[in-house]
Amino acid sequence: MPKSKKEIISMDSISKIYHLGNNVVKALDDVSISIYENDFISIMGPSGSGKSTLMNMIGCLDVPTKGVYKFNNELISEMNDSQLANIRNEKIGFVFQTFNLLPKLTSLKNVEVPLIYSSLGKTKRLQRSEEALSIVGLSDRMDHKPSELSGGQRQRVAIARALVNKPSIILADEPTGNLDSKSGIEILNFFDELHKAGNTLIIVTHEESIARRAKRRVELFDGKIVVDE
Amino acid sequence: MNSIFKNILIGLAAVRTNLTRVILTSLGLTIGIFTVSIVTAGVSSIDKEFDKSMEYFGNDKIYVGTWPWSFDFDWWQYRNRPKIDEDSLEYITRYSTYVTDISIKKSTWTRGSFSNKSSFLQINGVYPSYAEMLSGTKIVNGRFFSQNEWDLQRRVIVVGGTVRDGFFDGENPIGKKIRLGGVTFEIIGELKKQGMGMVPGGTLDTLVIMPSSTFNRILTRWGFAELVLKTKPEDMSKAKEEVGMIMRLARKLKPGENDNFAVNSADAYQTQFDAIKIAIAGMGFLVTGISLVVSAIGIMNVMFVSVRERTREIGIRKAMGATNNNILVQFLSEAVAISIIGGSTGIILVKLITVALSSYLPVEFNLLLIFYTFMVCVFIGVSAGMIPARTAANLNPIDALRHE
Repeated sequence: MPKSKKEIISMDSISKIYHLGNNVVKALDDVSISIYENDFISIMGPSGSGKSTLMNMIGCLDVPTKGVYKFNNELISEMNDSQLANIRNEKIGFVFQTFNLLPKLTSLKNVEVPLIYSSLGKTKRLQRSEEALSIVGLSDRMDHKPSELSGGQRQRVAIARALVNKPSIILADEPTGNLDSKSGIEILNFFDELHKAGNTLIIVTHEESIARRAKRRVELFDGKIVVDE
Repeated sequence: MNSIFKNILIGLAAVRTNLTRVILTSLGLTIGIFTVSIVTAGVSSIDKEFDKSMEYFGNDKIYVGTWPWSFDFDWWQYRNRPKIDEDSLEYITRYSTYVTDISIKKSTWTRGSFSNKSSFLQINGVYPSYAEMLSGTKIVNGRFFSQNEWDLQRRVIVVGGTVRDGFFDGENPIGKKIRLGGVTFEIIGELKKQGMGMVPGGTLDTLVIMPSSTFNRILTRWGFAELVLKTKPEDMSKAKEEVGMIMRLARKLKPGENDNFAVNSADAYQTQFDAIKIAIAGMGFLVTGISLVVSAIGIMNVMFVSVRERTREIGIRKAMGATNNNILVQFLSEAVAISIIGGSTGIILVKLITVALSSYLPVEFNLLLIFYTFMVCVFIGVSAGMIPARTAANLNPIDALRHE
């Protein structure tokens, strides 16, 4: 691990425990991980291994039961809902397997959504959204609704939305899971470019071919990190 | 502030995409706002009519008669009382310090006719002094009869405002002759048209006024008489008390005996009228209250549907950094928008109705009414939307994102 790089995420002995009736489920069990600037990480593991929970935790959608989570040296594990919302808004870009675009909005408006919850003015918001769409090569599809776009194009809109607030990390959950192989490869090539451009990427996947593209590989099993290389 | 505004816009966009549903839901509130406005308008126009009638009785007049002015009088108690006559009038003229003017007013009804037209008219026989005691109306054409005409029992009359249209097709009635109970009278004066009144007998429009001397000579069959006394408004209660005592003297009542006359004034109607008005308004507001509650429940129901339909959207927005308050404002403004749409439709309906019925329903349609409606709508929208909007705001983003 090149220690000269800036540490973005630091998780120390993180546990997430659910109570289902009388059963106690340890979704994450004493996990520690550090993520640095311009990392390109794949998180792998079978279902139920806790990779979704880890992903939600990193994305500040969930808070740990135990342990310390710092993001840019800010203590996430102690934050309330609206502080978490602000972190998600400013620092994290999400890319989902099912795209999760708002069906009634145009591409441009979809990309604008994160900026709505920031303090930017309207002109600035539109300008930033147009920029983000041109980065993913969809400048000519700005006024199309998701239903008028192909799967690959939809995911590119979703990536533009993840990029628009210039986040510290981009979290992608099975980003090619709903795409045909050709569009999938396109999207992965695009992730490579983003990495080269200096972005920090975390991809949750169970496909070996995708994991191989990543520069760092984390494997989970039964809520514990078993591989980190 | 800016962020609240952006979330309101998101809420409004949702209204636009579900327009049919929104309009159907807001219909309940339309009806509610419509009834409340109509009731308010109705009460205020009844009020106005009543004030006009009160003006006819005047706040400076005392009426001495056989019967008290009341809607729940005991007929059997009053029917054998002696009639009011000129003797009592002389007593009051002689002894009263507060009464400034006095006249007898004899009343009866008879058929009046001119050429082939005829109509039932109220006839009053009064003194010339009554010219100074007309309230709520005045002579607009011609003149009142003189003392001389009274002394000579002349057959001259002053007529109410509707006689002109009824008998003479809008032509000037002065100098025309009409027949009352078989006797010909000459019209010498015309009263200002007054409009409908609320109190029994409270209109001067179908009235015919003549000298009481003439009345005594010609219309002797039946009718009743009362004394009309004028005083200063500020002396009203003292004057009523004094007149009561003088009347006892005139009637030679012993200290233990009950009054066999009644001293009335317009304020007697006021308290009874207030009770009726409160009853009408109470019923109206009860109906309105129920319809407002029902419409609030309707809005709440639709908002729950909306939250459920858009659970995934809520998850996406939260993942993108929307705070709980952002979501709360978004759904609250959707609810408020629905209720404002309903309320505005109601107000527009009221406006249309009042324009169409302006001659029957003199409604005060003003900005204040619009403002109150607006406030009521915001209140209903917020209270109906609060629970669904809180449900939406408190959704866990992870669960919401997984929602199909």
